[in-house]
Amino acid sequence: MLKRKMIKNFGWPLKTAMREIEVTRLYPEVMMELPENERGIHELDATTCIGCASCARVCPNSCIEMVHFKYGNPLKNKKMQFPQVDYGRCMFCGLCVDECPVECLKMGKKVTMAGWERKDIIKGPDFLATKRFSAKEVADLEAEAKRIAAEKAAAKKAAAKEKPAKEGNAAGSAKKKVDAKPAEGGAA
Amino acid sequence: MTNASEVLSSIQSAFPGAVLDSRVESDRRLWATIDSKKILDVCKHLTNKLNFDHYSGSAGVDWIARNEMEVVEIMASHGAHKVVAMLKVKTPRENPSVKSLTGLYWNANWYEREIWEMFGINFEGHPELYPLLLSDQLIGSWPWRKDFKGYPDLTTGERAVAITTPEGYTEYRFPPTPAEVEAGTVVAERPKYPTFREREEREIKSDSEMIMHLGPQHAMVPGPFLLDVLVEGERVKKGFLDVGYIHKGIEKIMENRTWLQGIVYTDRMCYVASLSNNECYCGAVEKILGLEVPERAQYIRVILEELSRIQSHLIGTGEFLTLVAGVGYAPWQYMIIDRERIISLIESVTGARLTHTFVRFGGVRNDLPDDFAEKCKTTLPYIKSRVNEFIELFAQDAIYQKRMENVGVLSAEDAKRVGIAGPALRASGVAYDMRVEDPILVYPDLDFKVIVGTKGDCADRVDCRLREILESIHIIEQCLDRIPAGPIKPEAKIPKKVPAGEAYYRVEDPRGEMGMYVISDGGDKPYRVKVRGPFYATLQTLPPLLEGVYIADVVAIAGSMDGCPSEADR
Repeated sequence: MLKRKMIKNFGWPLKTAMREIEVTRLYPEVMMELPENERGIHELDATTCIGCASCARVCPNSCIEMVHFKYGNPLKNKKMQFPQVDYGRCMFCGLCVDECPVECLKMGKKVTMAGWERKDIIKGPDFLATKRFSAKEVADLEAEAKRIAAEKAAAKKAAAKEKPAKEGNAAGSAKKKVDAKPAEGGAA
Repeated sequence: MTNASEVLSSIQSAFPGAVLDSRVESDRRLWATIDSKKILDVCKHLTNKLNFDHYSGSAGVDWIARNEMEVVEIMASHGAHKVVAMLKVKTPRENPSVKSLTGLYWNANWYEREIWEMFGINFEGHPELYPLLLSDQLIGSWPWRKDFKGYPDLTTGERAVAITTPEGYTEYRFPPTPAEVEAGTVVAERPKYPTFREREEREIKSDSEMIMHLGPQHAMVPGPFLLDVLVEGERVKKGFLDVGYIHKGIEKIMENRTWLQGIVYTDRMCYVASLSNNECYCGAVEKILGLEVPERAQYIRVILEELSRIQSHLIGTGEFLTLVAGVGYAPWQYMIIDRERIISLIESVTGARLTHTFVRFGGVRNDLPDDFAEKCKTTLPYIKSRVNEFIELFAQDAIYQKRMENVGVLSAEDAKRVGIAGPALRASGVAYDMRVEDPILVYPDLDFKVIVGTKGDCADRVDCRLREILESIHIIEQCLDRIPAGPIKPEAKIPKKVPAGEAYYRVEDPRGEMGMYVISDGGDKPYRVKVRGPFYATLQTLPPLLEGVYIADVVAIAGSMDGCPSEADR
């Protein structure tokens, strides 16, 4: 009885081996099918990034640095600062993606990033940006940004010219406030 | 049924004046500050009169602004009632010292040693106050105090000074620089105690005894920990454990990260149970914030945690079978093939295979994909049939039975006394499961059994784990039927700063009771996070279990505990 059971158990691996089960994958010839939610290498939409650096602030390993990149939107991102990710330190937690206020940073299905040196796996916006403006579009946008800035400056000048009449009042009220503050502090 | 306010009034009537401050958070949580002179009597009273027979751990807190330190004793019961008493004992910051509970509870030993080496709080009456996680060179600087200035940099070889010893060997020392002495990073006075080696060698009584090393790098151990056994012939006389080889100081790191960033670090404590670690931390913070989790998010959390339990039990059983390796086939690969399907299921939701960072304060990161229920419907029955096959296989294999039955038996009384938890405790016949004891999320609405064993030997522990997989599958199937539509995150924005407060939250980890004690001082970072991990308690019970067994059984016993030293060391 005992022997029969044991022989049955030894038959088990044979049974399993007969089934056509895929055990090893032919990486990198055949890539595994990754789900939609996969957290791989970042994908940056440079046309909408506002350069707020909230991704850099939330990163637990501080692997994100804001660097200059030409092909973004100068209307929204005035300093043209875009995230650069050090994949030597990134742990793919996805906090940067959750934190992005304009949802321009996403994580995609690409996972290969090997390089010969450490500096090779520091990927700048040029590598990360999946959407970007062409040089001509950027030039147009920059021209528009200059035009808007010029308009604003003109408006300011115009406002400044109108102001002198009211200035006396404004200065007086400002002085009053300055005087009032220490008195309040002293009372508290 | 006893509740927290009854426990408090019982203590107050038995020891008038002993309770300095108290707060009844709910029926299940009691916070009380106890007079440090009466803590032993109060604990005795709790154990003898009020059935608090589970000493769950203790935590040290350094209140530098109040110039005092605190030791928080966490007391619970093995099923008699559901109250967790958090008893605080205060001590001044100069020469901090409190009474040791090792005389009452056997497992207080390690928890107090850890507090001593990290905070420098002396425990009066502790039998072996030696370092546990830190190495000998680092003792004396008390790293988890709030005014800790950092260790001197001993990593550069240029600073090493060669010294020739009288025996003719060359030793290298790192003399501190004057700048370091001034900065206060050098330990001025180091406590005296016998080293681990000396303690071991003290136990050798005759020439026929010797010490055998298993680890820290050994095929037997799932991660690095040192298990030395004192053997006489084929029998083990005593076991010695040294842990801390992968001590990462996660609790201290979390004090220096924002609340949100802390979730990432809970993943890294134990990557096979990262979802329950996430849940534990987020649950504790939600308790302080007073957040309600939307129902759909609760169901998603339960589904994923149960999936995570299945894959953890599969890898645990596979690892155990690799260790004993006497069954004539290679079941590790079969378990891994099955586990792959579960991992793919989890990955389709979270986007990561092991370190998920999935649970958020008040919700979850992603919703379930559309085809998730269908995928589950094909995968879960397959896993079920495979697990049934495994159970049958182990039940009828004579070699396996001879190897495993009545080996490493832990009786119900002993298991309760040593404070072990999880499948290892349930195998001894004690139905103690956090999903029932401290129900969270939607667990109270779900129908499931707590799996218990009968004898508490190695075979029972493995059997318990395999049958728990079936139970988890049952839970997931119920959740998939019931899961409502709705939001997965709270509507209000989560504040960056958490209001001052404290919470203790317990979840059932695949390895047992996982608790996190989180304190907030109203800032954007936690003031203190204490992790009461399940494997820490299990590892502590290993040396007494090994006494008197054969050397060949050591791996069977250690393997059947399903270990994760990374979580024990933190």
